[in-house]
Amino acid sequence: MNDTIETKDQAAGMKQGHVLDLKLPIGWLLGAYGVLLTVYGLMTEKEMYAISFGINVNLIWGILMLAIGGGFLLTAWLKKGKAGK
Amino acid sequence: MAPVITLNFVDYAIIGGYILVMVLVGYALKKYMKTGEDFFLSGRSLPGWITGLAFLSANLGALEVIGMVANSAKYGIATVHFYWVGAIPAMVFLGIFMMPFYYGSRVRTVPEYLKLRYNEATRGLNAISFAIMTVLMSGISLYAMALLLKIMLGWPLTQSILVAAVVVLLYVFWGGLSSSIYNEVIQFFLIWLGLLPIVFLGLKEVGGFAGFAARLQETLLHSVKYLGTSNNPLGVDWFGVVMGLGFVLSFGYWTTDFLVVQRALASKNINAARMTPIIAAFPKMLVPIIVVIPGLVALLVLPEFGQAALPTADYNSALILLMKHYLPNGLLGLAITALLASFMSGMAGNVTAFNCIWTYDIYGTYIRKGRPDAHYLKVGKYTTVIGIAISVGAAYIVQSFPNLMDYMQLIFSFFNAPLFATFLLGMFWKGATAWGGFWGLLVGILTAAGHYILYKAGVLTYHSDMAANFYQAIWAWSADFVVTIGVSLFTAKRDPKELVGLVFGLTPKPKAEARWYARPAVWGTLAVIVAVILNVIFW
Repeated sequence: MNDTIETKDQAAGMKQGHVLDLKLPIGWLLGAYGVLLTVYGLMTEKEMYAISFGINVNLIWGILMLAIGGGFLLTAWLKKGKAGK
Repeated sequence: MAPVITLNFVDYAIIGGYILVMVLVGYALKKYMKTGEDFFLSGRSLPGWITGLAFLSANLGALEVIGMVANSAKYGIATVHFYWVGAIPAMVFLGIFMMPFYYGSRVRTVPEYLKLRYNEATRGLNAISFAIMTVLMSGISLYAMALLLKIMLGWPLTQSILVAAVVVLLYVFWGGLSSSIYNEVIQFFLIWLGLLPIVFLGLKEVGGFAGFAARLQETLLHSVKYLGTSNNPLGVDWFGVVMGLGFVLSFGYWTTDFLVVQRALASKNINAARMTPIIAAFPKMLVPIIVVIPGLVALLVLPEFGQAALPTADYNSALILLMKHYLPNGLLGLAITALLASFMSGMAGNVTAFNCIWTYDIYGTYIRKGRPDAHYLKVGKYTTVIGIAISVGAAYIVQSFPNLMDYMQLIFSFFNAPLFATFLLGMFWKGATAWGGFWGLLVGILTAAGHYILYKAGVLTYHSDMAANFYQAIWAWSADFVVTIGVSLFTAKRDPKELVGLVFGLTPKPKAEARWYARPAVWGTLAVIVAVILNVIFW
């Protein structure tokens, strides 16, 4: 019985516990992938995209990932700004 | 043999970036790991969207994804049953009806609930079988993945195994369950972003759904229409699908497997815990987009699986061959990273679940009882090292005895099938007694084993191995259900006061519910309605 009570106290004291905002690493990782794929897409020749029906999928997907990653970073920063005030 | 896929520097940069971020996240979490509950249950501090996505990803391992693409190439659209019938109802049930007892009783593990509700013997049976299963399964998938990487990318077996093991070890040792959960959430995004290009390019080549309809066999195009008898690609009739897959196997897995339940227990409050599986249910319904469509595309565009397919065609290679078929370097690296991520997070999930059960239910119960919390935190951390070492060892043993893999999966299925009956009666019938629970579970396990022996001996026959598997689960569940009730009628009842918080009807309803739009029941009902609509569309 004792350890159940102990657990409850711990839980109450730790609600602010793991404050690492997961939006940041997701945003950075996807954003970096976006930059990499966009740049690589711009640098590569059209022949490479024969298998994807001539569509430069690296460029398109890179821009998309850049937008998603940027979105995560933006929400994380906005939230942080709010908490700061 | 030359590898199927050749990667270049961009692909390797993408893979390397993922590994770097994972290790950094683990390192950043290190400072929060002060108590056992921090390490094993993320301090019960995470919001519902994180635990929800982790709940889904914990089950979306690389081998599952590859296997489900293979199933779709074999069975067609009927593969959606593994999602819409075989997952959604169970996830919603867990969130609405069972989570109040799991989270509300503040147990730390699934076996701990069995101890409180039944007795020590029931807990021991479940904890020991689960711990052994989890750590061996982790080794089996480690080997399977390394083998795949060797065939497809030409990576040496030993290096793949060791690199994966070291990366997982680092971040779980530092960040415990939080690391594992954060990795799963990142994996969730990577798997969608990595595989969707294949879906789009595949649909473009075959001419969309009209292309499927025009060029595929009629039986591959319907989820329900051909289930009247077992003359369909699955070889299972509707009763086997609904009761075996949809009820026994699905509820048994989603509501009692600690690997997934642990994610919900890490939530910051009871509402977030109940929302965890329900939040997961919505993306779960959409997973067929990234597995079923590629499977059908593979049938039409890859000569290996077309009209001239050999009976020996290895459908498990379908996804990798599609990557080669459609993706240029760059996106190729992203897709491989998505697979690696789902593989590593699967391993991390197994290791964290093993850690927690070993430390609380086995070490803390049978070996060293009543030590201070700091002691168990330390044990948990070093159990990570041991758990991973056993996984690596198992991976090498499986390498020398490939049949071992099938045998182990078989034995595990004996343990899983009946468990849901024990939980269902435990949570919803106050008359279930301590020994009723134990004997029900044991007889259920033995029934599953007995059914398997009769099936292999040819006494029982089914249209397919899958049908045998579904019916085996139905028999095991029924045996557990009947025996638990039977034994309970003749053994000593528990004092109802001891069961408060553990059993429905003896537990007061939570008074302050969330506002209607945040309620699990509202979202759970919605999830079920959407799943029904999807089934009707693909009837």
